[in-house]
Amino acid sequence: MTDFLLQLATNPQSGYGLPPHWGWYIVLYFFLGGLAAGCYAIATLLDILGDRRDRDAVRLGYLLAFPLVVVCGVLLILDLGKPLRFWHMLVQSENVPELLLKPWSPISIGTWLVSTFGLFSFVSFVGALIETERLRWDVARRVDRRVRDLPRPLILLWEVLGVVSGFSLGGYTGVLVTGTSIPVWHNAWLMGALFLLSAASTSYALLMLLLMRHGRAHHDSTVSKLARGDRSAIVMEIAVLATMLLLLGALARPLIAGGFGVIFWLGVVIVGLLAPLVLHGVPWGRMTAERRAMLAAACVLVGGLCLRFVIVMAPQYPAVHPWAL
Amino acid sequence: MAKGFFTDTTVCIGCKACQVACHEWNELPAREGGATELTGNSYDNTGHLNALDWRHVRFIEQLPVSREMNGFLGESRWLMMSDVCKHCVRAGCLEVCPTGAIIRTEFDSVYIQQDVCNGCRACISACPFGVVDVGEDGKAHKCTLCYDRLQHGLEPACAKACPTDSIRFGDVDDLMVLAERRAAQLTAAGTPAYVYGKEEIVGGLNCFFLLVDEPEVYGLPSKPELPSKNVAEGFVGSAAAAAAVAITGLLSFRKERMDAMHGDLEEEERPRTTDRD
Repeated sequence: MTDFLLQLATNPQSGYGLPPHWGWYIVLYFFLGGLAAGCYAIATLLDILGDRRDRDAVRLGYLLAFPLVVVCGVLLILDLGKPLRFWHMLVQSENVPELLLKPWSPISIGTWLVSTFGLFSFVSFVGALIETERLRWDVARRVDRRVRDLPRPLILLWEVLGVVSGFSLGGYTGVLVTGTSIPVWHNAWLMGALFLLSAASTSYALLMLLLMRHGRAHHDSTVSKLARGDRSAIVMEIAVLATMLLLLGALARPLIAGGFGVIFWLGVVIVGLLAPLVLHGVPWGRMTAERRAMLAAACVLVGGLCLRFVIVMAPQYPAVHPWAL
Repeated sequence: MAKGFFTDTTVCIGCKACQVACHEWNELPAREGGATELTGNSYDNTGHLNALDWRHVRFIEQLPVSREMNGFLGESRWLMMSDVCKHCVRAGCLEVCPTGAIIRTEFDSVYIQQDVCNGCRACISACPFGVVDVGEDGKAHKCTLCYDRLQHGLEPACAKACPTDSIRFGDVDDLMVLAERRAAQLTAAGTPAYVYGKEEIVGGLNCFFLLVDEPEVYGLPSKPELPSKNVAEGFVGSAAAAAAVAITGLLSFRKERMDAMHGDLEEEERPRTTDRD
């Protein structure tokens, strides 16, 4: 064992993938991409199942999703070594009209998911703009009316496809890190599930926070629906995170020990997962239910960002011991 | 016909002529304008393969833990290995590349087209051997198996320069026969040797090595896996989580739930009001 560690220490590049130099652009992309996907999916589910009182939340979700995914696209392009060649991922650059999709490559799938989801979220974004009378262009309004008159099953199909593309975007970022040779990432096949649950949870939190900021009360029907959803997402996230760490065993060291470990236990586990559950469930001091719910939502968002940060950075730049065995 | 290298580490003398020849032919500049950089833990000061060093002679300095040997080197041993891109039969970098910049050539080598690469760096973390690296130009770089020389019937610069024939270039099948014969010869002579890079190593390496110690000693993984190995599981897990979110979402959004929530809330509020009383 010590021999092996010694040998690893003297050969730091011991046969595993080198860090891809992912930094804040990618951390933020994983975080905001999750929010975009989650907000859209939740808004759509509410649109299908909810009642009239949920319209505000539906519109809010749609108004958030598209701008967020645009920011994601910009972040991804800025992250490239050759940003102007971003289109090489969509089109075969030496064979121009031919599209490029490698279904076995998560990063290639991701490129198309961002684009497809961009389309779905754009349509809903324009719809929400017209609904809230922020967009008063006649042509758009006429198209909007036509679209809304389409048969219900057709609209439902579109919405379900949109939710699928949203969920795919929220989850694939986790699979993206699994599809590498960096030991922690490579072996954590639950990362896709974890990122998806975190995307759902942070999106519930963001929607709740913004709705309550506009003077909605915690016992308001929409907000309590979202709170309920958030709690179940958090519980599932805890279960998946615990299972993932158990399966990783000693490999999880870079995530849970050293400097990154502090962020993990404090930011992800305590602030991001446990605090919101406690705040939702138990009365705390003199805080009103509204205050507690808003604080819980803020905690969830901080935790979601911390999770992306630790998972992206720790395996690339392990602070403790390079391979932490 | 697949072309590749057979690197016999037992005859490598660590002269680094291969590294120099590679730099010269491929016009790879020195790092930091040629300023001296010391690794501090080895007589080798290159460290590892990177965007500028496509061949790298590893020095494995196996010295006893105690340096007090009264002038004798005891059980110490130096292993030298000229490391290079393995041009894998199933290449992780080629698998993930989303732009199609990484291709397999007519020589079965793995080649990064510099005019296509957009610097997404997926290949860097995909390679199980830590070969591919990003250059200052933002693009991915690695050994090309001297694709330009091969097209003109020349052997790669490193193999041409190697003074001990530690690096041999040729048809992979022929080289493998040679390697197996050499391994058997060394083993019979009392030095157990084996070929690293047969089929069990990610489907085979077109550039393989003759080793006399564990792969890890040379910084090579004994059980490398393709980056895509757990991707299917990842998508399934992610889909299951999506289904779970959808179902819990549906349950949370149902009207009955909403009414139940009101009940929950009233219970929550109670202790607070008693507090105030």
